[in-house]
Amino acid sequence: MITIDMLCYYSRLRYANAMEKFTYSVLTLLFCVVSRSLAMALLVLAVNGILTVRKGGIPFYRYWRYMMIPLAFLIISTLAVIVNISRTPLDAFAFQIGNYYLTGSYASLYKGVQMILTALASVSCLYFLSFNTPMTDILSVLKKIHCPDLLVELMLLIYRYIFLLLDISFSISTSQDSRLGNRNLKTSMKSFGAMASVLLIRAMAKSGALYDSMEARCYDGRLKVLDEQHPPKSKEIFWIVIFEGLLLIFTIWSKLK
Amino acid sequence: MSKRQRKIVTACAIMALSLGITPIANAMHIMEGYLPAGFCVVWGALCIPFLVAGFFSIRNKLRENRRALTILAMSGAFIFVISSLKIPSVTGSCSHMTGTGLGAILFSPSAVSILGVIVLLFQAILLAHGGLTTLGANTFSMAIAGPFLAFAIYQICQKLKLNRKVGIFLAAMMGDLLTYCVTSVQLAMAYPSESGGVAASIVKFLGVFAPTQLPLAVIEGLLTVIIVIGLETYAMPELKSIGFIKEQEVR
Repeated sequence: MITIDMLCYYSRLRYANAMEKFTYSVLTLLFCVVSRSLAMALLVLAVNGILTVRKGGIPFYRYWRYMMIPLAFLIISTLAVIVNISRTPLDAFAFQIGNYYLTGSYASLYKGVQMILTALASVSCLYFLSFNTPMTDILSVLKKIHCPDLLVELMLLIYRYIFLLLDISFSISTSQDSRLGNRNLKTSMKSFGAMASVLLIRAMAKSGALYDSMEARCYDGRLKVLDEQHPPKSKEIFWIVIFEGLLLIFTIWSKLK
Repeated sequence: MSKRQRKIVTACAIMALSLGITPIANAMHIMEGYLPAGFCVVWGALCIPFLVAGFFSIRNKLRENRRALTILAMSGAFIFVISSLKIPSVTGSCSHMTGTGLGAILFSPSAVSILGVIVLLFQAILLAHGGLTTLGANTFSMAIAGPFLAFAIYQICQKLKLNRKVGIFLAAMMGDLLTYCVTSVQLAMAYPSESGGVAASIVKFLGVFAPTQLPLAVIEGLLTVIIVIGLETYAMPELKSIGFIKEQEVR
């Protein structure tokens, strides 16, 4: 039901070492955001696309569709950056409205393109992580980097229960739909409210049952789960180090320039 | 700061740094990679005191009553599901609740700040809403500013003996509006306008998002009221177990 979650279990990179994937995507992301350079954004976009689609085996059309999601936000907010209202026209374009100009400069156009590309490249880093790594693996990485136990445990439980609640909410909305519960704004508001409140009631009942069953299995404040072991491969580490080293040099160079 | 707290702060900073740039899909998530690195760090740092406070309040609550763990987890999952469902909208665009106003009223703003980060992290990874490097900024607007204002307004309305439904409506709506304003300010500070600086930029960002966000805030307010009415009708014991109703009885 959550497409990304479903896809990452099919990914051919699923069994690659999670720490490797995590380090790779986070470092690449950092370099992208820090350097904000066009060339690097294009490089990262290409590398992540190839890794996710060719190596990971995620269908291209899915990947493409997910890359398009951010575009709406990007276009709207980049418009707000590029377009200015002022009394004096700027160099790139200017439309006169009364005494004012709807105008923009080449510098801001360049900045807009830079923002869009950097953002897309960063999104591709995030997608590399989420399309190829199941949430449970990400949680075990968080544990390894010493995220507090309580948080990791809370995340694990929340993750499990998201699917249960989504399931309940889908069956409720289906039955509401089949009874014309969403035929206009008024009924759909009513239906949504009813669904949400029943959802919370069910959630609370489930949480009680969950605690009882955990208690019955000797829960003592700590959930212990065995991790699957997928040792890092030296070849993969080698390429990650080379690539990140390149990005690092490039970032330093672009900052010095 | 103790060693443990320092670890927490580091973890928060790492997460804030790594998760920053995700698409703003529907609610007011700032997408991955959209904020410059400096702003990601600053917003992440601003969140840390709230998160640490939330963390300790949760931990103390768990010491008293371990059963609260599963209730908290369920509440987190509930907030995630509520915010991932499409809600009826007037403009025809696909829109989502933030769910944090409801969370703040039902649970408490400090618990919601922690649940909020987790939900935002999941939204970034599972739904591609928001992102790792912008996690700090998003957390500040959606899991801290919104819920705390919603809670404050709800409390004030209670003190003023206003009709409770009106209070809930105002709280959820204003929480949503504040989230939208804070996000606009965050974007504007990162990208000041060439003619007029940050102030002009704030107006521009408020302007471009207003058509979707203003109706959304009203709808979120209405839905929150409907949900609470539903809960009061059918779920008194549950409301008591999360401490929502007890508060009422004391008063």
